[in-house]
Amino acid sequence: MSVRAFFNSVREGFKGIVRHPLVTVASVTTILLMLLLMASFFIFSANARAIMKKVGQQPPIEVYMRLSSLEEERASVRSFLDANPGVILSYRQMTPEENYNRFRENLGTSASILDDFDYNTYLPHTFSVQLIDPAYAGEVVMRLQAIPGVNKVLQESRVMEFLSTATKWVNMGTLVAFAVLFLIALFIISNMVRISVYSRSAEIFIMKFVGATPGYIRLPYIVEGAIVGFFSAVLAWTIAHLAYSRLFDMMMKDVSGTSYYSLVPVGSLTYWVALICVALGVFIGASGSGIAVRKYIKV
Amino acid sequence: MIRFENIHKTYKSGSDALRGVNFKIDDGEFVFIIGKSGSGKSTLIKLITREEKPSRGYVLVDRFPISKMQSALVPVLRRQIGMIFQDFRLIESKTVFENVAFAGEIVGMPKRKLEQMVEIVLGVVDLRHKAHAMPLELSGGEQQRVAIARAMVNDPKLIVADEPTGNLDPQTSESIMALLEEINRNGTTVVICTHDSNLVDRMKKRVIEIEDGLIVRDELDSGYCAQIKEAAKSVAGGKK
Repeated sequence: MSVRAFFNSVREGFKGIVRHPLVTVASVTTILLMLLLMASFFIFSANARAIMKKVGQQPPIEVYMRLSSLEEERASVRSFLDANPGVILSYRQMTPEENYNRFRENLGTSASILDDFDYNTYLPHTFSVQLIDPAYAGEVVMRLQAIPGVNKVLQESRVMEFLSTATKWVNMGTLVAFAVLFLIALFIISNMVRISVYSRSAEIFIMKFVGATPGYIRLPYIVEGAIVGFFSAVLAWTIAHLAYSRLFDMMMKDVSGTSYYSLVPVGSLTYWVALICVALGVFIGASGSGIAVRKYIKV
Repeated sequence: MIRFENIHKTYKSGSDALRGVNFKIDDGEFVFIIGKSGSGKSTLIKLITREEKPSRGYVLVDRFPISKMQSALVPVLRRQIGMIFQDFRLIESKTVFENVAFAGEIVGMPKRKLEQMVEIVLGVVDLRHKAHAMPLELSGGEQQRVAIARAMVNDPKLIVADEPTGNLDPQTSESIMALLEEINRNGTTVVICTHDSNLVDRMKKRVIEIEDGLIVRDELDSGYCAQIKEAAKSVAGGKK
């Protein structure tokens, strides 16, 4: 195909958009809805993954010392935790007094019931341990339980398992949803474009008989589909961006950014949403149109 | 230019459209292909333009072996052929000029050269003054002349016309045939598939008659009906 023929073909693609405005509007709406669904899914799964990552790094292991534990025994626990920097992300030792104060804070206005509580008698020293990877939990718990002076080690194993499974499912669900939505969009678009191709079948017939190559015949439709896809992507991104910004403002009004449940900031998601929308929109539009015209260009 | 050797064409439905057709058309010839509806004329045209492939036999069109040519070469073959249809097949959304230029654009003809060529061919069909009209503003005869101009713009070696006068009144048909004869005089091979007995009789060109998928007559300077006179030059054997 010569350069001139190529540009003619591209120009025809642009003309095609205004030639059948109703088909264009219907195609834009379809791709827009699909991209909005995809963008929503992406935003949801990105937030779900972020929350699970944060939750997974919270103290899953609580070490309770005996009430009568000795300083040497607590030092043994510290030594063990300090000796495994590749496994232990961080830990915090809490004295009976610190544990007592934490209880009081948790009780809020009812804290006065603990006024006469003898924390030195009833509360132990504890360690809150954060792991680099929840997968190390079993081994760490076993080793901690073997240290003299340790009364019990509480491990949130079910929560950890749930988080691990949930992460896998969210990732898989996102992939499957993307694939299904992509195929549905492709199917709808190719059928929609087929209407516009059908209305131009006489033109395609003439093109074939004056020696147009299949690529030349197909290119205007691919260009048209890509433009429709791009336009839909820009609309989808704008709507997704505005909606998520509003949701973020509403939900994060009283929540700290470091909280478990804080949403992923708009700025760090919006570029990914834009990239996904544009890439998928252009691809769906172009390939949907390319598929639709295939039947008519057989020489 | 065109050679058919023992051509058979059987469609998927099982119908035999052609059953052993042999003929040869030389460069610069003017040939009518006639026959009843369903005799195999359209199949023959479709084989020339490689819309169909023969089931058996060998077809050669301007050095392109139709039977075994690759799909990628089909557009190259069609650029050597100007096609004219009964229903004109013009693009209604384009002007006369654009319809004619369209064929040149597709083959990537440089803009300046294309404009000159369109001017020339519109002059040949006497429609230069209607260059900016839309096809629906033209009469049937004018539309067919636009189609002829479009077929000529790439300077093809062969023009294939399928019932070019089928939708036209006798007077306009005459002018269209005169135009095709003029194109032929300049060296372009012209193959016309027609039912128009008056035109065939009047023009006295080579006639190939097909019946039930077989060539039953191939005569030079002939008419629509078989010539009974002994003086007729039968080339049924000689033109194979």
